[in-house]
Amino acid sequence: MNERKTKLDKIRAFVAKMPSLSTTVGKVLEICSRTDTSPNDLNKVIALDPVLTGQVLKLINSAYYSLVNKVTSLTRAIVMLGLNTVKNLALSTAVIRCIGQINKSKALPNKHFWEHSIGVGVMAKLLAAERGLPLAEREEYFVAGLLHDLGKIPFGDEYIGVLIRAKQEQTPLIRLEKQYLEIDHEEVGAMIASTWKLNPVITDAVCHHHAPEQAAPEHQGLVATVALADFYICLFDIGYAGNRFPDGEQLPTLLELCGLEWSSVVKLSEIVDEEIRKAEIFLQV
Amino acid sequence: MIQVKFWGVRGSIPCPGPHTMKYGGNTACIELRFPEVNRHIIIDAGTGIRGLANSMLANDLPNGPIATEIYLSHTHWDHIMGFPFFVPAYIPGTRLKVFGPVTYEDDPLEAVVGGQMKYRYFPVNMGELAGNIEYLRLKEEPLLDLGDGITLATTIINHPITALGYRFSFRGAVFCTAYDTEPFRNLFVTDPNHPAYDELMAMEGEEAAREQNQLLEHFFKDADLLVHDAQYTRQEYEKGYIGWGHTPIEDAIAAAKRAGVKRLALFHHDPDRSDEQLDQMTLAYCAAEHCAPMQVFFAREGQEIIL
Repeated sequence: MNERKTKLDKIRAFVAKMPSLSTTVGKVLEICSRTDTSPNDLNKVIALDPVLTGQVLKLINSAYYSLVNKVTSLTRAIVMLGLNTVKNLALSTAVIRCIGQINKSKALPNKHFWEHSIGVGVMAKLLAAERGLPLAEREEYFVAGLLHDLGKIPFGDEYIGVLIRAKQEQTPLIRLEKQYLEIDHEEVGAMIASTWKLNPVITDAVCHHHAPEQAAPEHQGLVATVALADFYICLFDIGYAGNRFPDGEQLPTLLELCGLEWSSVVKLSEIVDEEIRKAEIFLQV
Repeated sequence: MIQVKFWGVRGSIPCPGPHTMKYGGNTACIELRFPEVNRHIIIDAGTGIRGLANSMLANDLPNGPIATEIYLSHTHWDHIMGFPFFVPAYIPGTRLKVFGPVTYEDDPLEAVVGGQMKYRYFPVNMGELAGNIEYLRLKEEPLLDLGDGITLATTIINHPITALGYRFSFRGAVFCTAYDTEPFRNLFVTDPNHPAYDELMAMEGEEAAREQNQLLEHFFKDADLLVHDAQYTRQEYEKGYIGWGHTPIEDAIAAAKRAGVKRLALFHHDPDRSDEQLDQMTLAYCAAEHCAPMQVFFAREGQEIIL
């Protein structure tokens, strides 16, 4: 009992010390998830954070657009490229930057962990498109996918032992977490989501991506999509977040919740790599 | 010499019928021929491209396999919907390059343009095209050498998705396009009594819009022929089409005149515009006393111009 308490206390202490989602990022998330964002609101909220402003402008001026005349102000970027483009750029940049600042255990090498997270984000967004969701809604799928494994970050070095066991026993990671660490990454994710005040949809993705049926009924589509994306990315070893053996028994339920066939998921393999490469430009900024 | 021919001049959707016999009902497609160097370029694959394809089969194919390039202004439907009916793409030996812009985070060009050739939409799948087809994404380019003395510059214009204006130059002749585009405008609150008003933002938005518009004018400066968006009258635009990505006729004429354009083809006519209305609008907008020395006309399907 005491050992369990110590482990949980350690995790609680870690979560408490994690850099909070800055006010700016929280506001960007809030402003960007509304469909009626005004140019004034967007400009103001990004401009509050000079670093974010710089990163967004750097991205706009990167090879992605290869603009002939450099864009040097957000106002101009919004006039020139439109509200939606700037909104999406800011949202992804803000979230990734915030998470990049966290020091996590050595169990999961940063580079591979982010490759996994971006992979799930990109795949969730592609699946959202496959499900016929409008472009404006897909960005939330990317963010949900990107953040789904947040709960693994606070695990200490003892997590390495769990990862090794998961590999040896060829078992889904989440089952062993509970067994050896007393708490699983969905539960830790819930703690972070509440500290960061993530919105209810993203919170559900962080807390229920291994059991989408436990998410609120109106979020199950998104959570199942993130779960399906996670299954795919784990199965095909894109990046590494510790879970080499996703739970195959879950697949039919996930496909049903998403209204998709496995063949249409696999078909995306041609574009998923390219999309991941595109999304990785955010990490270089 | 650049030989220009309009195969489709409409915006939004084809509108065949008794009221569009004179100006035509097909959507955007323009052909450029460079006879001295035997080069052929197509701008946009609206429904007008079907007629162009038939003409190429009759006149070009007998002389050998077809080699051409399609430059898409953007990938909205009216500008790509003729692509499945571009018959040369089905003929082995055809060499076709498709250039166009891709909107941030959208699919690659091949998927956007070829995606309409799926069995659910069309009886032939993209993979079944027998010609050699290459898809190439275009960004803003100050100067591209297309070979044979032809150069191309591109610029981002103002439309809800990424759209490009083109400037082709060959032996001193300059041909430009600027559609689908709307004058850049200040998107920020300008009413000082509005709670969200921010003076600096309002001023900077104003300046950014003005400068972007100047850059576009500079882009088509001194063109021998400019094909410009002119879907609405200013009155129509202000009444309900702000933000749709199209230019009022009055603005197109004024911008072209400031830029020293020699001939201006008003383009992308609204599908509800009848021949009779376009004739009347010609009298109202294109008279020499307003426009000289520039020549202004509403582009007509089948019309040919030599530069």
